Formats: sequence, structure tokens, C-alpha cells
Amino acid sequence: MTQSSNEPWTVTIVVPEDSSLDETGETYDLDVGADETILAAARSAGVWLPADCQQGWCTTCAARLVEGDVAHPNARRYYDEDDEAGYILACTAKPRTDTTVVVDQYDDFLEFRAANDRPPGNSKLDS
Amino acid sequence: MVSLDAMSDDKPHAAGSVSHGDTSERVGMEVIRERGLDPEDLREKLIDAIGAEFTTYYYYTNLRMHLAGEEDYKEITEDARLEDRAHFELVVPRIYELEGSLPNDIRDFADRASCPDAEVPTPMDDSGGFDTSDLEVEDILEVLLEAERCAIRTWSEICDMTRGADPRTYDMAQRILNEEMDHEAWFIELLSKERDDEINPAGHFARGEPGDAPYSTNNRFNDSA
Repeated sequence: MTQSSNEPWTVTIVVPEDSSLDETGETYDLDVGADETILAAARSAGVWLPADCQQGWCTTCAARLVEGDVAHPNARRYYDEDDEAGYILACTAKPRTDTTVVVDQYDDFLEFRAANDRPPGNSKLDS
Repeated sequence: MVSLDAMSDDKPHAAGSVSHGDTSERVGMEVIRERGLDPEDLREKLIDAIGAEFTTYYYYTNLRMHLAGEEDYKEITEDARLEDRAHFELVVPRIYELEGSLPNDIRDFADRASCPDAEVPTPMDDSGGFDTSDLEVEDILEVLLEAERCAIRTWSEICDMTRGADPRTYDMAQRILNEEMDHEAWFIELLSKERDDEINPAGHFARGEPGDAPYSTNNRFNDSA
């Protein structure tokens, strides 16, 4: 599907049932511009997703891509294997099509990074 | 003689889940847990946060050196550099109070730092030195600005976590946050003028000695610390 760069994509945010977030079990459809991050759009809409650095480094905002496509043009620490496994960093992820993501995946993502010997996986899990 | 149980009835704060005389647990942690915050989660977050303070202290050393000839910029960067070290040292004792410790391997400490490495924004040359042929002052100022912004986000999150649950850590975090916001204002002013020729005042008065850290080091370390 193609559309003007000014038109927003629909990003569906799924907060899983086992999440500790206040929005647990909820699903939200947000309009997210191509130059807007999923995290910024969510927080602007009142959906308070976890995040720290907002520079694609700390991975607090890790989420799982269920459908669609995103780009991480400004992420400081995002690896090919993250992309191949369907993980995204919501703080720097910008939609490239209508997209569905499951948020609050930090703990699983740390395990994934550790298994791939990528930071901050082992440095966090071995502490 | 009044029994301890009777005293507890009279003074509810003299009782709790930690047994009388037990040194294996800390009331200082249990009171946080009772207020809904996991002190272990907080401790790990604090280690990440001061990992970032420590790495920026290191990286700012290099960034400052490469502001060669820009003495006013170097002075401001020195303030930020030393204050980031002050933030690290302010919170280290809190890590130990929460039954943690610094990672034994400094590589682990840097890997888990909550903010990105703030490297000099230039490639290395063939001999392993910095290739400064295309290095611009504004590029360094931009790295400094974004590092401060990351710190603001991190300490804001810690303020959110601890508000109403852990006044001791909250007090530290909000003091650090004050200084990180100062730093952002400094680098907005400098970058605006250097890159865009725009006047965007920080609106601050001068610090005292370099690295004064007026909010975060109200209790000065003695010379032997």
C-alpha cells in the first residue's frame, strides 16, 4: 500500500494480559505519522508505554512486531537479529505501513539479547 | 517491665516484618516494598542510571578535549562532566543501601548504562587516532545536548518510580534532574548560537567552582573520600 508521506499509518498497540502496565489487556488504534515514533504517538494519546533513553539504546521500550513494518533510522543500538526476530524499539520505531505491536516486552527482549550475546542482555541478567 | 509486644501496640512504627535485631534484612528496603515499589527493581534501575553518569563523565573528557580553542565551551563542558561524576558518587551509596553493588566488570557497567555512549563524532584515522579533519564544534555540542536529554528522561523516570514510595531516592533523583536540566539549557544555548546563529539563552548565572553541582552535592565529600 502506498500513501502520501503526510498521511498517518494506523498502529495498533496491544498491551498483553500479563503486563504490569495500567493498560493491561487493552488494545489501542493510533494514527502515527511516518516521521513520528510509536512511543511518542502513544504517550501523546495518553497511553503511557515504558521508556527511558528514547534513543534506541536502553531497550526499556522493547515491543514485538506482529504485523506491518517499521524503520529505526535513529536507534543507537538495534541489530539485524532484533529485526529478524520481530523485535522493535518503540522509542525510535517509525511506521512504514499499518502496523500492530505487542508492547512491554523488555524482560523477554533482555533474554533474547543475552542469547545473542548482545548488550544489555548479559550485563543485566547476570547481575 | 514493658514487653516489646506491648511497646509495639503503643508505637506501631516500632513493629514490622523485620525481626528485632535481625541484620539480614533492611527496614530501609521493606518500607519501600510496603509502599508498592520493588526495591530490587529500583536498585537495578539506579545502577543503569549511574552507569550512564559514569560513561558520560568518561566521554565528556574526550569531547571537552576536542573543543580545542573554544575555551568557553570547554568550561561549560567541564562543569557538566564533573557534575555527572558527582551524580554517580551521590547515588553509589544508595545502591549499597539497597543491597546491591557496582558490577565487578566495567564493561558490564557500560553495557547496561541507560544512555548511549557519547563518543567524539568523528571516525578514527589509519593510525588509530581521531580523524579531526571534518570535526565541527557543532557536532560535539549536539552529542553533549543529546546526552543530557537522555539523562533528563532517565531521572524523570526514576522520579516517577520513587514518588510517594521512596523519598530518599526521590530526593537524589530530583536533585540530579535539576542539574541535568541546567545542562540541557547550557547546550541548547551554545548549539543554537554555534550552529544556527540564534540567541537562545539558558538564562542561568555562573556556577561557582568547576563542577559545583549545587543541587546534588549539598553534602560535600571530605578530601579523603
